[in-house]
Amino acid sequence: MKKISLSILFLLGIVLSSSAFCGFYVAKAGAELFNNKSEVILVRNGEYATITMSNDFTGNIKDFAMVIPVPNVLQRQDIAIVDRSIFASLDAYSAPRLVEYYDPNPCYVPRPVMEALEVEDDMVEKDFVSNVALREAKKHKVTIEAKYNVEEYEILILSAKESDGLKTWLIENGYKIPAKAEKVLEPYIKNKLKFFVVKVNLKTHKPGSSEGFLRPLQIKVKSDKFMLPIRLGMANAKGEQDMIVYAFSKKGRIECTNYRTVNMPTNRKIPTFVKPNFGNFYSDLFKNTHSREGRDAVFLEYAWDVTPSWGGVKCDPCVGNPPYFVDLTKAGVSWVNQRGSSVHFTRLHVRYSLSKFPEDLFFQETPNRQSFQARYVITHPATGDLSCSEGRNYSKKLKTRRRKEISELASLTQWDVNEFYDYIPNGTDKIKSVSEDENDTSPISPFNDNKQSPQIPLIITLTLLIIFILNSIALRLSKKV
Amino acid sequence: MFKKFVPNFSNELRDPRYFQILFLGSFLFVGINYLGWNSESIKYLVTFLVAIITQLTFSFKTTQRYSSIKSALITALGLCLLLKTGNIWVTALASFVAIASKFLIKSNGKHIFNPANIGIILAILITGNAWVSPGQWGSSTLLWFLIGACGFTMILKVNRLDTTIVFLLVFGGLLYCRQVIYLGWETEVWLHKVNNGTLLLFSFFMITDPMTIPNHKRARIIWASLLALLLFVSSNYFYIQTAAIWLLFLISPFTPMFDKYFSAPKYKWNVDHRTQKLPNKI
Repeated sequence: MKKISLSILFLLGIVLSSSAFCGFYVAKAGAELFNNKSEVILVRNGEYATITMSNDFTGNIKDFAMVIPVPNVLQRQDIAIVDRSIFASLDAYSAPRLVEYYDPNPCYVPRPVMEALEVEDDMVEKDFVSNVALREAKKHKVTIEAKYNVEEYEILILSAKESDGLKTWLIENGYKIPAKAEKVLEPYIKNKLKFFVVKVNLKTHKPGSSEGFLRPLQIKVKSDKFMLPIRLGMANAKGEQDMIVYAFSKKGRIECTNYRTVNMPTNRKIPTFVKPNFGNFYSDLFKNTHSREGRDAVFLEYAWDVTPSWGGVKCDPCVGNPPYFVDLTKAGVSWVNQRGSSVHFTRLHVRYSLSKFPEDLFFQETPNRQSFQARYVITHPATGDLSCSEGRNYSKKLKTRRRKEISELASLTQWDVNEFYDYIPNGTDKIKSVSEDENDTSPISPFNDNKQSPQIPLIITLTLLIIFILNSIALRLSKKV
Repeated sequence: MFKKFVPNFSNELRDPRYFQILFLGSFLFVGINYLGWNSESIKYLVTFLVAIITQLTFSFKTTQRYSSIKSALITALGLCLLLKTGNIWVTALASFVAIASKFLIKSNGKHIFNPANIGIILAILITGNAWVSPGQWGSSTLLWFLIGACGFTMILKVNRLDTTIVFLLVFGGLLYCRQVIYLGWETEVWLHKVNNGTLLLFSFFMITDPMTIPNHKRARIIWASLLALLLFVSSNYFYIQTAAIWLLFLISPFTPMFDKYFSAPKYKWNVDHRTQKLPNKI
């Protein structure tokens, strides 16, 4: 079993049976169609984009197939297979982090300690058992533009004249197409996009290779469009899906141009008892933030200059090693060798659904080089004798701080913090049992969450408009009188 | 009798620039508090200070009339809303260029470029350390209403509603034909595109500036249609995400040409255009 640092994937507890990046998985007869989380590495260099798609498909391998719209017919050299470990290391490096500090005892000599919390978990892996055979087909105005065998994958690049033809072609070849797929395929066909159709070659696939997983596919496309086609992936989606985008550019931060890119709350001080539950904490924090922002925003979780030759601090604290030269090369950062060129890394997290994300995701490079990390802080109280006057003062302040921390926790996650009645006086995470006297604790009100909806400005604007209209009417009336 | 009891707010606030300041200010407030923008108070302060100082200096050297300070505030607000940069000097430069352009680049008594627009463009071109975020407003329906309502009131007062209506109709129409009728996307895709806060702000506040768009109604209709057509082509076929501000910059030098072929009196602030016979009526 391979050890990896605790990643968002595990934090969110959404290791599901399969997932697809921008495309949808088409499965043969009856296999469950499901995709809930995906990871993508997106590298932008001028008009080229290199896209690497994680492939954690864990169903029956013969059911695996993936369809991705691409702007042009890819050449063999534009397609590569990379090692899965690149995703794990990028994730480990950029995942939201918990940092802990220790208060010095005011009555004794201070001894500050800072350490990053790194939690490890076992990676769950499953073996694939079989393969899919590729059938020939030249019907329904579907043209096979190119056909490549790339290690365990068989890749076809199709162009189609109409979505109906493509759909029929896929069905005739034994694929189960999601009901809504045809409608989604049509705009891509009309836009003259090609379809990158991937299957597993049973002859070359070795179940033992790459620890059972299908390895990530990497494609390089030349296009003015800097985008990820998420709509196709929603054709067979059940509710919301998560996608983590690890983006690299020469210039600076990558941001979304047709949805809001919002920074995750960061540098928040939270109670110490969150430490063993950091995974749940971040999962709920993300859920809460996502819903507060109207479920239609893209979230920034990390942004940093990761140029290998740059000597500056690459994280604070580091929960994983910054990507090395070799990682960046694997990810498709082709300019990493060039002198004087920098590499900027952005981690975006998007939870999308059919209704809230009607368009594909479009991005732009910005010259924004500011560093950002989703970072949460716990501070352990001083230990030992606190009987001196500074110590007593400290104890008072500590209670105020804990009250703030617990309010912050409530505001971030919507947890019912009144349950943690013992945290403020004693710093424990004891949960109130039914028999506890409710009067023992004063209720802790969370900070006012003032981001629910822009009601105040709306009311002001409406009031001003009404005053203005009424005033105009009154003036006209007065003139008539 | 009745007249005495009705305070004439319209008379007091006849100048639509007060409304514009109020509305743009409230957008900034909404952006920072509800749309997750990073509040950069020092950047905003620098933008305002530079804009005001530049405006006062140029006014002192030229007309010695200081009522145009309102325009400087509008420009500063526009820059705060649209221009993103990590460098305070870029902010100052944009603000200075924006205001200075009003005094230095003129034709027939009208400045050629929309001040905030030229400020943004030059900051991007000269420093390479500035950008605009077309996605920053999101596409919520509420926002559509908010900006629409605010913008509407503003335009009614400056009588440049035709520009916005024509622009939105042409752009929205072309987009509908391509996205929904031709490509076959759902109407939601089209709605998501036209509901974009940046597009609405651009249509209601940027291309209605009477000082930088043609004076004649017919000229404005042609001008707005052309802008909409170019925006449609550049965003749908060339995928330029921030096409609107670049196009406005490129089309602005042609405004004097429109004014030459379609002559009409220049717009004046501080006049209640609703109660007057429209000077620009064909």
